[in-house]
Parts: sequence; structure tokens; C-alpha cells
Amino acid sequence: MAFVMAREWLGIRQFPPATQTRLIELLGKLKQENVSTLTILVMGKGGMGKSSTVNSILGERVASVSAFQSEGLRPIMCSRTQAGFTLNIIDTPGIVEGGYVNEQAIGIIKRFLLNKTIDVLLYVDRLDAYRMDTLDKQVVKAITDTFGKTIWRRSLVVLTHAQLSPPDGLNYDDFVARRSEALLTYVRLGGRLSKAEFQILPNGIAWIPNLVETIINVVTSGGQSITVDQKLIEGPNPNNRGKLFIPLILAFQYLFVVKTIQRSIQEDVRKENKSLWELRDIGGG
Amino acid sequence: MAFAQRQLLSSALSPAAPPRPRRPVSKIVSSAHITEQSGCSSQITSSKEPEQWNRKKVFLLSVATASGSAVGGGFVFSLFSTPPPGSTGGGGGSGWGGGGGGGNGGGGGFWSSFFSALSPPARAEEEKMETGAGPEWDSHGLPANIVVQLNKLSGLKRYKISDIVFFDRRRGSTFSSSVDSLFEMVSLRAGGVYTKAQIQAELETLASCGMFEKVDLEAKTKPDGTLSLVVSFTESTWQSADSFRCINVGLLPQTKQPDMDPDMTDREKLAYFKSMERDYRRRIERSRPCLLPVSVQKEVMEMLGNQGKVSARLLQKIRDRVQKWYHDEGYACAQVVNFGNLNTREVVCEVVEGDITQLSIQFQDKLGNICEGNTQLPVIRRELPKQLRPGHVFNIEAGKQALRNINSLALFSNIEVNPRPDEKNEGGIIVEIKLKELEQKSAEVSTEWNIVPGRNGRPTLASIQPGGTVTFEHRNIKGLNRSIIGSVTSSNLLNPQDDLSFKLDYVHPYVDGVTNPRNRTFRTSCFNSRKMSPVFTGGPGVDEVPPVWIDRVGFKANISESFTRQSKFTYGLVMEEITTRDETSSICTHGARPLPSGGLSMDGPPTTLSGTGVDRMAFAQANITRDNTKYVNGTVVGERNVFQLDQGLGIGSNFPFFNRHQLTITRFIQLKQVEEGAGKPPPPVLVLHGHYGGCVGDLPSYDAFTLGGPYSVRGYNMGELGASRNILELAAELRIPVRNTHVYTFVEHGNDLGSSKDLKGNPTEFFRRVGYGSSYGVGAKLGLVRMEYAVDHNSGTGAVFFRFGERF
Repeated sequence: MAFVMAREWLGIRQFPPATQTRLIELLGKLKQENVSTLTILVMGKGGMGKSSTVNSILGERVASVSAFQSEGLRPIMCSRTQAGFTLNIIDTPGIVEGGYVNEQAIGIIKRFLLNKTIDVLLYVDRLDAYRMDTLDKQVVKAITDTFGKTIWRRSLVVLTHAQLSPPDGLNYDDFVARRSEALLTYVRLGGRLSKAEFQILPNGIAWIPNLVETIINVVTSGGQSITVDQKLIEGPNPNNRGKLFIPLILAFQYLFVVKTIQRSIQEDVRKENKSLWELRDIGGG
Repeated sequence: MAFAQRQLLSSALSPAAPPRPRRPVSKIVSSAHITEQSGCSSQITSSKEPEQWNRKKVFLLSVATASGSAVGGGFVFSLFSTPPPGSTGGGGGSGWGGGGGGGNGGGGGFWSSFFSALSPPARAEEEKMETGAGPEWDSHGLPANIVVQLNKLSGLKRYKISDIVFFDRRRGSTFSSSVDSLFEMVSLRAGGVYTKAQIQAELETLASCGMFEKVDLEAKTKPDGTLSLVVSFTESTWQSADSFRCINVGLLPQTKQPDMDPDMTDREKLAYFKSMERDYRRRIERSRPCLLPVSVQKEVMEMLGNQGKVSARLLQKIRDRVQKWYHDEGYACAQVVNFGNLNTREVVCEVVEGDITQLSIQFQDKLGNICEGNTQLPVIRRELPKQLRPGHVFNIEAGKQALRNINSLALFSNIEVNPRPDEKNEGGIIVEIKLKELEQKSAEVSTEWNIVPGRNGRPTLASIQPGGTVTFEHRNIKGLNRSIIGSVTSSNLLNPQDDLSFKLDYVHPYVDGVTNPRNRTFRTSCFNSRKMSPVFTGGPGVDEVPPVWIDRVGFKANISESFTRQSKFTYGLVMEEITTRDETSSICTHGARPLPSGGLSMDGPPTTLSGTGVDRMAFAQANITRDNTKYVNGTVVGERNVFQLDQGLGIGSNFPFFNRHQLTITRFIQLKQVEEGAGKPPPPVLVLHGHYGGCVGDLPSYDAFTLGGPYSVRGYNMGELGASRNILELAAELRIPVRNTHVYTFVEHGNDLGSSKDLKGNPTEFFRRVGYGSSYGVGAKLGLVRMEYAVDHNSGTGAVFFRFGERF
């Protein structure tokens, strides 16, 4: 897929040299696998830091971020090329609104993604949100319903806002493990996630290369990229399901339902309580 | 002699109450009577002046359907019986004779009997003659307290009888008139005024009636100028019998008794009696067996066994018993006319049961004159139970049945089913059916003003809209009960294109021919309708969802075959155009939902299959209903199964091909056996109800199954629980009678079986509905209204609802 507006990845230069080298190395590794494009879809609830993550990865301010209100009402795709390699990152608006999954937002995302291939899904959530509730389940379910279960084979859960102190003196790693486990449980419930990597290095470790590396690991380790086409967007058409069996169903209904009822009507007619005067009738008609 | 009290609850059919197209029957005011005037009287032929014993019974049966009442037709049966005045005996029916004319001759006496149809004026005259003249009577003019022979009385005077006393010579006892069954033999009444001739005629009647071996009348003068009559008698008795036989002599020709020549020799006499005996045996052989059940025959046999000799009074008792059975069973024309074979071991009871010899159907015009009817006779004949046909015994129940059936044709304003004695055929009954036809064509225009609240909630001048309905009807076309009914309604005549609803129906009954017992009716109709779709309804906590109106315009043709009154099979074809509109009446293609921001999200589920907001489709439709419910003391008991199928044929927008099916099973289980009868309390009933609906193939939103609502899951609004491809509803209701109504408690559950997502656009989820829900509650039936308190299990809150009609 050729994207017209693929710009040179300039933001990469802003990273520390070590990070740059590492990234280029990683992308090169990907290229060896004959992968020249990588499309990353970033999804999650609102205010989780999706846009910030995108900005961080690209090292540019491609998506406007505001602390107090949701920004992206429309998905944004940023394509950057680096040494013949194209990196596409799709930032999406939060798909939760007013305590419910916003189908409208999902619809917009779906339409936006038409005819694109998604290699990796980043599911973004906050590390400092302690509790998981049905909303998370709904979000995961919405994603599953939209892209199918296979998307989770190519997914990463990204926990943001990691610069917190774990409560109750828990060990940071412990807390992170538990939080991610809790989230994964939900994701599994909703989407049967089979594989999830977790990459955040809070102790000043450069996390971007790690994230990219993990992404690449996911991509290379198998699983099919998801091509979003009309069919996927609309989902399987329930109106077509079972259509072929209609003649059979009809025959069944006629033979086993209508006939049964007809028989019981005849039975009723036979068993009908006749008054004595009707039974006693002996006259010849 | 009694006047027939003829009470006809009548009924002018109001022509101003034209049937609405949907419920033609309920608007008709009709009344029907079944008037039975059995002048079933028997006569004693040996008397020169026939004395008639009349029994007058008027059965009044009326059907009154209140105009415009939602109750539908109710049948009111009432039964009036007017016994002869002064008669004390309940069974004072037939003239009765007993006794062998020839004394020891062995053969029974024969009485001819006939039914005479008396016209009321004739009877009136008679009445006058008998009791008439009011207070005018003559004093006997004799010293008080002397016994006067009957022939000593003056033929010119009119005597007042103040008292009648019976004196049984055999027992030697006197008894007052009112206690004994013998009394009904005497037509003279205390307090009446009679001439000598009348009293003498009475004596002759008594003497010849066969009850008495010997009977005498004596008059005793009283100081006040009246007479006290003493009837001294010796009861007839015959040798004891131990068997009993009952025969129907209904249509047998009366045997003429050859006069016995007083000059016959003994030998001739013997031959004469023998021939009589032979004749009688032949008569018995030719007679039809009668309907009297063995149990009553046994009872009579016991009566015979208990009594040594067969006495006249015993025979009278037997007659009463036999007649009572007949009348209790509805054989209103049955009469015991004779006892034969007396003085043998067997008592033969001859009964005229009331065999129908003819069935006549007459039409009457508005004034009650007989006229030619438009309705073809086979249409009426097929509604009559076969028990009303010639050759059967007339039964009042069959008459009622005929009345109900004919009434259900909704063609007549007045129906009378009337048994009448057949003059030409002794013992026969002619069943007369008199019908007043309804006007064939009718048209009606009704108008109304609607005041629509304008701004500020106050009606303005501009908001007053004239509305109206135009209905026309052509019933009973060709006399075959075919009808065309059309109506056009608009609530705004100034702008009728806004909401013009029309309906045109053509009904063609007896597709297989009027005489064919198969009852199939062809119906075709053009219609339009506008309904709010419950699919586009918000769940709990969702703000007002903009409504989507489903407009249907179409054509429907089907054939429906009735198996019983309630069970039927209907199949046909439907072609329709469905347009979905929003509040502003413009076509909409998708459902909308308010966003928290206040805007509308317009990308809801598609309203139509084509996505354009207009669908056209043709599909086949079949419905089979099995309904054996019946009323037990006013409450429904039985079973009702309905299977409905819509089969898409691939004709229409987007070539819709689908199989949409629904199965409803409702059982009304009677929990306690109760005695049936008017005024008895109804039994408690448990109602179990299940409804499954499903669709395979193309399913537009307007055909989706919705959950919630008074006829789905009570306690929720229409469609509040969801809209889906498959649904399952389960309900149980326990009805307990209280006084003359009932209270009930219910549990209901509705479930989309996870099929909401299989509906395009998932309207259940889009409008944030749960897809399932239960409710429970209690309620009471107050007339037509159900008042219930239902608890919505999803939110746990309850509310009181008022609903019309029944849930099941």
C-alpha cells in the first residue's frame, strides 16, 4: 500500500543517539524480513494518553494533546519514512463517551481504516487507574466485534502515566505486574488475548526503542495483519446467515409444526364435548 | 285458558350505527327470539265439545349486542313459562285420558291427540266465555246448605262456584282441591262463574277422560248465593304391571277406532277386541324408539313395582316424570299423549316427542310482513345444526344453537326460531325461522374536531382541525354474505394528504360452495397504517429517542379455513410498501439517538432493508391457530396455540428472502373442578404462556421482534428491553376469583437469546437496552380494565399500570 503523504521521519533525530541507533537497527531488522511498512493502530478509552504515545513514538507533535478535554474527534494517520521503511501510526479518538462505548466513534474509525492493513494494535490504558470495570470489558468487546478476535494476536497493551508511586508501598514492578494482569484478564475475557507484551521502563530507561522492539517482535512472531475491508467494517451480514437453509426450515415447519397443530385441531374436533341433546339425536336426516 | 305472554325484547336495529370496518359485528344491535308456543294440547275426542288443554310456554331468547360497546356480543337467555292461571300442578300439560273404554276388554283406550295451533284471538274469546263476565253472576236462589243435583240447576243462570271439593269414594275421604294431582283434570275453578251447560260439559269430560270409573258432580248451595261443587269419584284402576315401555308415536297416523256396535254378539266382541289388540301391537312395532334414557325408565318401573294396582294417579305421576325429563332436556314439544296396553303386564307410554316435519325459513320486512329475502337459503341452512332438520326431534338447545350461529353471520337484525305444530301432520313440528335482514348498503360520514395544543400548551384557532371518517359498506352481495367495506379516515380534512388512512376489504365466504361443508373464506384488502416503531426506543436512562414511524401501504389476499369456531388456518399473500419516517414526516433511513452534547447521532441502525427508507416487498403469510378454550363460569380454560409464518419470496427491494416465524403456546389450566352454571364461582386458573419468534434471512428493523410492553413483558415500555432476531418470552399468571372478578399474580421473562447483534445495526445496543428482562407483579381485573402493579426486575422498581383487555 502506497501512502502518498509519507514524510521523512524527522522526529527520529530528536531522540538520543542511542535510541536512534537502536530504532534504525530494529527497523532494519524488520526490513530483512521483507516488511517495509508497519501500521500501528492506537486505541483506548479517552484520556488514556493515546495521542501522547503517538507523539512520543514519532518524536513530533502530530496529535494535539490537551489535559482537560478530548481532542481527536477524527482518527489521524501519520506516516513517516526512514530509509525506505514506512511507519504508519493511526491515532484514534477515545471510544468511550458518557459511560458507554461510542459506536459512532467506532464507526468513524472503521470507515477511516477502510482499505488499510493493521499490523499492530496498541491498546492504551493508564497504569494509575486502579480499578477495572465493565466499561473496560465493553471497550475490549467493541474492539473485538469490530476487528475480530485475531486482532488480539497482534496487540500490545500499553500502560501510560507510569510515573506514579505504587500504593501501599508495593514494589513498582509488582504493581505493574498486577495491574497489567488485571487488564489482561479483561482483555482475555473480551478478546481472548493470547499474547501481550508489556514494556515500560520507568526508571529513566529509554522506553521508545523497547516499545518499538516489542512491536517488531509481535509483528515478526507471526499472526496475520488485519486488512480492513468493507466486509470487516460491516461485520458478517446476519441477514445472509442461514439463508440457504430457508427451504429446509420451511419444510420442517410445514411437516412438524403446521401438521402437528392441524392434527391437534382434528383431535379437538373429535373430543369436543357434545351436549347430550346432540348425542341423543337419532333422527334420520 | 291462558294467553300467551309474548314478550319480545325487541330491538330496532339502528341503521345509524354502521359497522366499523374492523368489527362489523359489535356495532350491530340485534335481537333475536326463540318463541315457543306449543299449543301442544291434546284433546279428548269422545267428548262432543272438545275441551282444550292448553299449555303455553314462551321461551324468550334474546341477543342484544350493545352498540359500540367493547364487550362484543353477549347472549342473554331467559325462559318464561306461563302456566294456565290457577293451575297448581306444574305439569299441567296435556289432556290426559286413561282407562279402557271397554272395561275389561284388555285393549287400552285410544285417544287421539293433536296439536292445535291456536291463534290468540280465538283463545281470548274462549277465555272470556269461561271466566269472563267478571263479577256478574246470579244467585242460585235456593235455600242454603242443600245438595242439588246438577240437572236441577237452571240453564239460564250463571252460577258462581265458590269452592270445589273432591270426594274419593273408594277411600271415603274428602280433600281440598289444591293438593291432589287430580285437580288439574278439572277445568272449573273456584271463584269462577259458569252456566249449567258448562258444568255439565265438565262432568262429561271428567267421565270420559278415563281417570275415573265413576264420577259425579253435586252442587251444594251456600248462604251467600254461590255454589260449592263436590266432585265424587272412583278412580280407575287396572291390573298391576311390572314393565314399562316408552314409545314415540310422533308421526304415526291415528288409528281410527271402529265404533263398537252395541248389538254385537259376544263372538263379534271378542273378534273386535282381538283386532284392536293386534292393531295396537302393530302400532307399537311401527313406533320409533324414544329418547327416554334407561335410568328414567327404571325409575318408572320402580314406581310401578311399589304400587300394586296401576291407578290413574300413578299414571299421572308417570306422565309427569316422563314429561319432566323431556322438558328438562330441552325437548319442549314432547308430550305424553296416551297410556296404552293397560290391564296387561306392560304399561306403554306413548309420547309425541315433537318430530320436526318441516323447516321453513322466512324473511320479514321492517314491518314484520313476510317478504322475499336477499340472502340465499343455503347460507342460512349451513348454520343450522342438523338436529333442526326434518326427521329429528325438536330441542330447544338446537334452536338456541341455530340462533347463535345465524346471529354470527351478522346479516340479520332480528332472528326468531319458532317451533310450530304442523297442522297437516299430526304430532309434527314445523320449525320456523324468521329473519329480518339488515340494510344491504350503508354509508356513513362522521366528522370531529381535533384541538391540538399549540404553543404554550394552549389551543389556538389554527390548531382546531376538522377530522372525519367516511365509511361505506355493501353487505351480503348476491345473498351469499360477500361484502365490501371501505373507509377513509383523516384527522385533518383541510390537509388530508398528511394522514389519510384507508381500508378496503372484500370478503368472499364459501369459496368451496355454499353447500360444501368445508368453510373457507377468501379475503382481500387494501390498507395503510402508521405505527411508531418500538425498535427505535431507548433503554433505561436514555433520553427521548426520536421516534420512527413505519408507514405501510399494501394489498393482502388470503384464504382462511375454519375448522372450529376458533381454530383456523389462514394463508395468503401480502404485498406492501414500507416507508419509514421521522417526526417531521420526512423519510429517514437510520435511527437516531441523542448525544450527551445535545445533538443527534444519525448513524443508528438502518430502518429499512434497502437503506433508502422505502422498502417494497411481497411475501407469503400463513397462520394456523388452534384454540380450544372455552368459558367455565366466565373464565377462560383451555389451550391456544398459534403458529405464524412470513415467508419472503425474494420479490422486492434487495430481493428479501426470509423465513420469519412465531410460535405462541398458551395454556389456561383449571386448578379446581367447579360446578358449571350461571352464577357459580369461576375456578382458579393458572396461565402458562410461551412465545418464540425467530427469523432467518433478511430482517429489516420494522419486522424485528421487540421485547417489553403490555403484551410482551409487562412492567416495561414497548420495546424497552430490546429488538432482536430471535426472542423468547415466558410468562405465568395465576388467576384467583374474587367475587365476580379475579385478582392475579404474574411472572414474566423476555430474552433476545443473544440475537440482538444479528440485527443490522444492533438497535438493542445502539439504544442501550439490555436485551432481556423479567418482571413480576399483581393485578386485579376491574371490568374491562386491568389494574396491575408490576416490578421491573432490571431496575427493581415497580409501577402501577392500567391496561385494557387481556394479556393472553
